[in-house]
Amino acid sequence: MSTPIATPDLDEVTDLYAAPLEPWQLVVWNDPVNLMSYVARVFRTYFGYSSEHANQLMLSVHNDGHAIVDTGPRETMEVHAQAMHDFGLWATVRKVPS
Amino acid sequence: MTGPTLSLPLAVLEGIHLNELINQLTSVLADSEASSDPAIERLVPDAYPEDTDASAEFSNATRADLLERRRADAVSVQHALKPLSTVAPEDLAGDEAIQEREVLIPAQELDAWLRTLTALRLVIAARLNITAADDEHDLDDPRFHVYDWLGYRLDGLVALADAHDEASG
Repeated sequence: MSTPIATPDLDEVTDLYAAPLEPWQLVVWNDPVNLMSYVARVFRTYFGYSSEHANQLMLSVHNDGHAIVDTGPRETMEVHAQAMHDFGLWATVRKVPS
Repeated sequence: MTGPTLSLPLAVLEGIHLNELINQLTSVLADSEASSDPAIERLVPDAYPEDTDASAEFSNATRADLLERRRADAVSVQHALKPLSTVAPEDLAGDEAIQEREVLIPAQELDAWLRTLTALRLVIAARLNITAADDEHDLDDPRFHVYDWLGYRLDGLVALADAHDEASG
């Protein structure tokens, strides 16, 4: 952490509050290697999703090629992306398409 | 400090093979700085395929950490495998090699096991150029058998882990 050279002025702070709260998506992509049972388990245990929801997301990944697994602030989506990579899943972060 | 433990049935020979595969994974990881390797790239995927700057930034922030975690996971799996993997195959009499033993996995190391078996499959898939789930398996290539065997054991371990979660609420 470096010390800020100047205190940010109030306008910037206002801008931060004005920013949309959930502009980013975590997308998990289908791959030929990961087992369906494993992907559903990762969604359930990592995100705390119900078995039904986790299973549904896994099936979307499998059938549609990808699924939006979470939506939220960019930093949070990046933390999740790294966690998905840690589990061997192929995850990307993107802005909510407008 | 003893928590809940899961017990995974594994033949002695399987334990020896798995341990050897993890040795190979560890050497692939050790070479990760030296040259570009598609198997390593699959372990640290691109989080921003459409944004070169964000992609590089994310990679700088996560790559080393992720690869280090693969090493750490490998160490804990190999630790649990020791009762099987330290047996010399030539010392095994008769069908001892294919007899199943119980490998004890502490519940808190379960994810390390799941991630390691997954990482092994990802690396082998990259070596075998498996790009679709229904890719024809060349059954003369023993690596396909290893890949399928790891998938079978991983699926079993996921079932075991799910049952464990169910039982412990």
